[in-house]
This record gives sequence, structure tokens and C-alpha cells, in this order.
Amino acid sequence: MGDENTALSVNEVRHVMRRTGFGAPPKDLGKLLKAVNDAPTRGNLADELLGYKPKLYKPGGKDPYTAHNKWISYLQKPKSPLQSKLVLFWHDHFATQASAVGDTKLLARQIRMLHEHAKGNFRTLVKEVNLDAAMMEMLDTVRNKKAIPNENYSRELQELFSLGVDDLAGNPNYTQADVSQIARAFTGWDYDYPKGTPDLDTDDHDYEADFPLRGPKVIFQTTGGFGPAGRDFTAGGEGEAEVDTVTDILFDHTDTDGENTVARRITRRLLRFFCHEDYASPGAAEIATIDQIISDANFTNTWDLQALYRTIFVHDVFFETSGTAPYGAGTKKAIKWPVDYFISTLRLTGMKLKSRDRRIFGGAYDGAFDHLTQMGQVLLEPPSVFGWDWDTAWISSSTLLARYRFARDIVAARDAGAFRPDKLIDTDLTDPGEIVDAVSDSLGVPDQVTVAERQVYIDYLTDNGANPTIDLDDDDVLNTKLHGLYALVMQSPAYQLH
Amino acid sequence: MKVSRRRFLQGATAGAVLGPTLFNHALVRKSLANTIGNRYLVVVLLDGGNDGLNTITPIDDGAATLRQAYDAHRNTGNGGVNLPSGNLLPVGADPNSGASLGLHPSLQGLHDLHTSKGTVAFIQGCGYPDASLSHDVSRSIWETANPLGVPLVGGWVGRHLAGCYGPTDVPAVVVDYGLPGDFRQTTTSVLAIKKLEDFGFPYDYYDGGDVAAKRAAFDAIYSAASGSAQSQFDFIGNSGAATLVSSEAYPPLHDLYETDRAAWSAQYSAIGRSFAEDLREVAKMIYGVEQGVPDVNARYFECNNGGYDTHSGQGADEPGGRHGELHAEVGDSLKVFYEDLEDMGVIDDVAILVWSEFSRRIQQNSNGTDHGSQGPMLLLGGDVKGGVFGNHPNINDVALNNNGNTVYSQSATDPFRSTDFRDIYGSVLKQWAGMPHNDILTMMPLDTAAPASNYWTVEDFDLDLFLP
Repeated sequence: MGDENTALSVNEVRHVMRRTGFGAPPKDLGKLLKAVNDAPTRGNLADELLGYKPKLYKPGGKDPYTAHNKWISYLQKPKSPLQSKLVLFWHDHFATQASAVGDTKLLARQIRMLHEHAKGNFRTLVKEVNLDAAMMEMLDTVRNKKAIPNENYSRELQELFSLGVDDLAGNPNYTQADVSQIARAFTGWDYDYPKGTPDLDTDDHDYEADFPLRGPKVIFQTTGGFGPAGRDFTAGGEGEAEVDTVTDILFDHTDTDGENTVARRITRRLLRFFCHEDYASPGAAEIATIDQIISDANFTNTWDLQALYRTIFVHDVFFETSGTAPYGAGTKKAIKWPVDYFISTLRLTGMKLKSRDRRIFGGAYDGAFDHLTQMGQVLLEPPSVFGWDWDTAWISSSTLLARYRFARDIVAARDAGAFRPDKLIDTDLTDPGEIVDAVSDSLGVPDQVTVAERQVYIDYLTDNGANPTIDLDDDDVLNTKLHGLYALVMQSPAYQLH
Repeated sequence: MKVSRRRFLQGATAGAVLGPTLFNHALVRKSLANTIGNRYLVVVLLDGGNDGLNTITPIDDGAATLRQAYDAHRNTGNGGVNLPSGNLLPVGADPNSGASLGLHPSLQGLHDLHTSKGTVAFIQGCGYPDASLSHDVSRSIWETANPLGVPLVGGWVGRHLAGCYGPTDVPAVVVDYGLPGDFRQTTTSVLAIKKLEDFGFPYDYYDGGDVAAKRAAFDAIYSAASGSAQSQFDFIGNSGAATLVSSEAYPPLHDLYETDRAAWSAQYSAIGRSFAEDLREVAKMIYGVEQGVPDVNARYFECNNGGYDTHSGQGADEPGGRHGELHAEVGDSLKVFYEDLEDMGVIDDVAILVWSEFSRRIQQNSNGTDHGSQGPMLLLGGDVKGGVFGNHPNINDVALNNNGNTVYSQSATDPFRSTDFRDIYGSVLKQWAGMPHNDILTMMPLDTAAPASNYWTVEDFDLDLFLP
């Protein structure tokens, strides 16, 4: 058991960097350690990581391709890696597709909004999303009129953005009646173009008196702990106030055991994101942890995301995932998102992207968009409103080959000396073991390479002992073996995990 | 002797692979009872909830006022999705009501197959009780074939593969970047190949003389991970090891097909849609297996076509309507695929199963349709018995539930009795893939606690879907 005062090893700091940012480049590691006076604890590291003022970045660009590439470039040198990673989490949570929105400006503005609220108040964030122009296009709010309401947004607001289909005991959180009624609250909403300011057309709004047969605007008569009367969401007034009232009611919804539904669901997703897959289907121990974290962060009273993140970053479950190689049955690991693999690898190898296609500098290969398409994660184009499937779903023969190909493209970028391993490690080294250690150190994973893997790499460098010392000053050796070793480590099973 | 993956990979290097290549041998194939043998199964997902009521639509009332009910709920004109009776492409009569049924006019390609070959089964009303209207939940129910019980690991095809193939076999390929839920599995490898020609292993160009050393090192780290007690490490190890071998065997299938079957390839190109191109990748692989290419042994394939979540802009059958475009894409592509395989002489060994996670509501919204309940499946192939199976759902007002959706029923006395989608899976596995009845029940268990009048009266998996 640890707490915020628990001191951290350098490997644990690397772990924190990998999970809250994009890899652990030695230079960034040094800076971070210096910022906490070389005495890292769970608490001072969390405060250092969370103590930035958000930069409200938006991926501009005329078309989704350009916007995607600009965002990728921004991720390579973000002001705060954590802020960027949080925005990726929320982009997945409130998944919105450029192809469905049809206008990059609106979606860029949504990403800026996510930056603004990424460590703010979660209830405010959901209220912003409710009337976000890109979301109104994505889930048909602009086509939700009183004559025949469109249920798309109402359903996903409950299923994906707040409650989830079932609570942790497997009981439904809402019914089709709740979907139909909440859809009424959103009828008539539209936005002014191009500013995206929300605008209610009262002629298209479903006032209760317009359609008495649809019943009173009451929700959660059978779920949520509100009792058989449920909640009347017109109590605060219809129209402008109604959407906010609905949101407030969602945030009061409780699981069948009385715990707050929204707090549990969002905490659980964050634990899955920052820790591991056990939180996808939590058992009793995981549920107890979720409840403890919510309580420690006072989340249901404040909905303050920053406090929630900090509580997670000092908690044992977060450090439970920092295990070093070799991995056993009990080791908790997670598979890197493609965009994490892509960005952290660029940062670790010091590679630049250039041209409109964001190609690897010094190579004439695929651009960022193609690489990420093949790896299965194109920003601004999640596969559906459900966002991306995580963990093992990232991995298939096709996406693995895409990762291997990207690693190959980096080490093959020799034109103009774009990939410079001599700048990443000391090329005076001749001992194969020391070279392997230097390479894994430069890639921020010295703690993740097993003894067996290390031996494979040594055997590779020495051609199974035939060449026991390695002369990296020989260009052929450097270009073949050192480049090859970098590719192998980046292609290795361990490097896909964090 | 049990062949470890490590040994398998080493064998592959030397060009002598025991498991899969043996399976590919015609004489051995015949002796393998209880397997799919020399057959193929191609699964197609229409992702997003295909509107089944505008896929197989009543032309007239029959004995159940189906057409009247359809017209009462679906509008004509601006934003309307109503398909006029006269434009529908007739496929036969509804077994229950006797109403004439017709396909969406954009499904011309599929209709051509129906009229010229008679080997398309239209299976109506497929679903499960208390349909979930969540894409995610319902898709997962169809993929895992497990609506009520405790969660099962992997998908229905994945569990079938795990039961029939060893850990060194590569029996299935999904034409995509990732694996869909129905093909997920734990003990055997399913490849995801979006484009065969891009599937080669990416070695650095610099020093070709070092490739063997790179390959050996890669093989060693992946073989070490494969079998790890850490689950993700093991998963990546298995996937990467199978990828390495297959990345050497599969890419040449592209050139083989393009050389031998250029005229057929052009027909897929002419459709100009990604779904057609995905089916062409399957055709290339089947051609490769038929030609006896070493280490190419896939018998199960999956493709998907997205965009069916037509809450808005669905259209009826006018040009440019979104649903019509999707139907045209699927109908035309399936037709070329079918005829290509027929020309290869293999169509009698191929079954193509088409599904979607749910259908859509009979009552339309202003210009599209919201989520609904049960819908049709399709099965086609040279040995498939064509025609209409299963009853059209009851779309009359009185029969709809309080969400306005059609009601799934397994009551033997209900004339509109629905089709349990697992009965289709089970029939395909039993009659086509040779899986014994009890093995099917093990991997796709019944929910015996539920009342039989309503839930899971899965029958004997003897639905008469195949020619004798």
C-alpha cells in the first residue's frame, strides 16, 4: 500500500510518463526528475504533471486529412503530454466523425472545447457536448424535430456519454421510454453556422402540451433510484433549460446498490485507460477500488476531473501496472493505442515529419494518415460513435504489420541523416550487451526487456556469437545491425505494451 | 507429437509444414470427418443495423394486411422511405401470410442470382427476445451468440475454430485491419488482411544479407512471448508469430489472381466500391487454396460493409438514396463474387452468410428510421437451397410493442413465429462445417432457465438450408 508520499524509482517514473504521455524519452525523463528535485513521489509527480495551464489547441485545416495531420504534428511537441492524452481519451469517449459532421471547422472547435474542459468539471463537459455543433450533426440533433423525434442523440447520451447500458450489477440503467422522452428534450436544437452557437427553434421543439399522447416528460420511473414517480424534467422550464435539467438528472442517477452511476462509469473508463483491462468487466475488488477513488476524489460532489485524475495517479492500482519484465500471470499491462505507439516512437527516435502528408523526414514512404489508417486509429474519424475498441482489439496481423512497417520506415530513413542512432546512443560502445542496454534505454523501456529478449538481441548483433565485438564506427555495421536492432525493439511484443 | 508454434515456424522456414499443409491435401481432406473439409464459409456483416423491412418488403397483404401496415407507417415523398409495391423485385411468398415479398429495387444483383441460380435463401425475422436497441450490445449478442447467459470468450466463429483447429493452424482471414467480434478466439490464429499485396513483412532495404538474422530474431522474441502467462503478451506473441509465416505465404496470392483472373478482377473494379474490393480479396485467397499454394489454408472469411445506421437520409428507391446505394453495392458485389467462384468451379463449396445487428423500426422518423428489432439474414452459395424461410415480422399496429418495434416470439402457436438467429448459426455449423450437434451446444449453450414459449427453443440445427 502506498500513498501520495510514496517515493518512486526511476522505472516507476518512466511508467508514469508512458501512461500519462507518449513514451519516456531520456531527455524528458531528466527534465521531469529535475522538476521534482530528483525526489519523485506519487504526489509531487502527479502535481507536476497536472499543474499546467491548458493550451486550447484545435486541429485547423480545410479538410479532415489536413486537420488530422496538423493534430499529429501538435502531438509530437505538446505543451503538456498529459493534456494531449486526456483530449485523446475524451475524443474517444465523445467520438465524433469528420465524415458524419461534414465540416472540419465544427469538429476542430469540438476538440478545442475538449481541451478547455479536459481537466475541468465533467458535468459541464457533458452539457457542452449536448449542444456542440459537431455532435449535433454527428448524432442527428439537428434532424430531431417535434413531429417525429430522432432518438439517436438521446440514446447515446445515456448509453455512451453518461450512464452506460447496465449498471455494475448488470441491471439496465434506462429503458426505451427514457430514450423517447429525452429525445423530446432535444427537439428543435440547431446551431448558427459557421460559429456553431446553439440555437433553439421553438417551432420544432416538442412542448409537453403539443403531444399529450406522448405522456408527461418524465424519465427513470423504473431505474436510477428515483422511485416510481421518476423525474419530471420540465420542472425547471421547457426549452433552453430543459437540456441542462436532463443532464443534471442523469448525474443524480444511481446504480441498484445506490452508488452514483455516472461517477462509477467514468471512473471505470479512466481506470481502464490509465491502468488495465480488468476494469472493462470489474469484479468485486475492482468495484471497491472504483468506489474508493470516487470517494477520495469527492467526485460526486464536485465532478472535478482534475481531482479524479490525481486520485488515480497516486493510487496503488496505477502503480500495480508498472511491473518490469519478465511478465507473469499477475502482471497488469495494457496495449498501447496506435496513436500512442506512433507519437511516442517519433518522440523517442527524434524523428520529424514533413510535407503536407507528414512523411517521415528522410524517407519517401507513407504519411501519418496512411500509417495510422493501417494501425487502426485515424484521429477525427473514430469507427463509430462507440469510439475505438481498446486493448487486444488493437492487435491483428494487419495492424501489427502496420506497426512493423512504421518501425521499418523510421530506421530506413537514411536520406539526409534523418534517423541518427549515433545521436541516441554512444557509438563508441563495442560490447553487444551494452549496446542493447543503451538502445532500450533510449527507447524508454529498459525495464520492459526480458533477459531472454536481451539475449536474442545480442545474438542478432553478433550473428550468434560469430562477431563478438561490434564496431559501430563501421557504417555497414551501423546501418545493418544498429538500425536493425532499433527496428526489432520497436517491433517487439514488449514494446506494444505499456 | 504436439507441434509447438516455435517448431511450426522453424518448419515453415524450411518449407516443410506439417499441420495446415497436410490439411490442404485432397486425400487427407476427405478423411477429416467433423470439419468443414474442402468447403468455405464467408460471413458478411451489414454494420449499423440494416433496415430489413426495406430489404425484403411485402408487395401485397396476403392474409395479414402486411402491405397496408407497411404503407401506414412508411411515408412517400420528401424524406419518405416507402418502397412502392410495383418496384419491388419478387422473391416468393411469406410462409405465414402468403403475402408476395420483394427485394429493394437496388438489390438487382442479388435478385439476378435468385432468378438465374435459385440458390439464395432469404431468412426472415431473425433475432432474439427483448431485442437490445444498442448497436454495441446487439452486435455483441450476435457475435458471441449469447443473449442471456454469462459472457462467453470469443465469437461464435472463433469458438468453433478453437474447437476444430490446433494452435498452429491459420484457418480464417478477416478482410479488415482488425478482428470483428464473431471471429475473436483464444487458441488459433485469425489473420486480418486488408490488402493482400500490402501484407508482406517489412524488412529494412539496406542490407538484404541480414534478412535471415532479422527474421530469426523476430521469430525468437515472438515465440518467447507466445505462451506467456501474461495474457496480452501471449496474445501479441501468437498474433505476431502467425503473421510472420502468413506474411510470406499470402501476398503472392494477389499476383497469382491478377495474372490468372484479370477479367474477373476488372468486374470488381467496375463496381468501384470497397465492399467489392474486399470480396475480391476473399476470391484471391480461395483461388490460392484451390491452387494448392503452401501455407494458405483459410476456410473461413469475413467482410463487412458499414453505413447502415440510417437515422437520417435513408431514402426509398430514388437515385442517391443512401440505403439504396448500400443495397446496390452489396447486391452487385455478391453477384460478381458468386459468378467468379462459379467460374473457378468452387461455388458448390462456398456458403455466404449475411447478417446485421438489428433491423429498423417500422414507423419512420422525418427522413430515416430509428433502431428496430429482428431482421432478415441471407445465405447463398452453390449448394444452398434458395427461397424464403422464416416469417415476415408482424408489423401491424396491434402487434408492436410499446416502443413501436416488432416482437420476437418463439411460441409454436404464433403464426408470425420468429427465427432464432442461433438456429441459423447452428444449422450452418452442423450441416456445412460438419460440427457435431453436441459440440455446437457446448460452444453455443442454451439458456435452459428461460421459458420455452418465448426464449431459446433452439431446435435441432436441422433447418433445411442446403441441397442434399
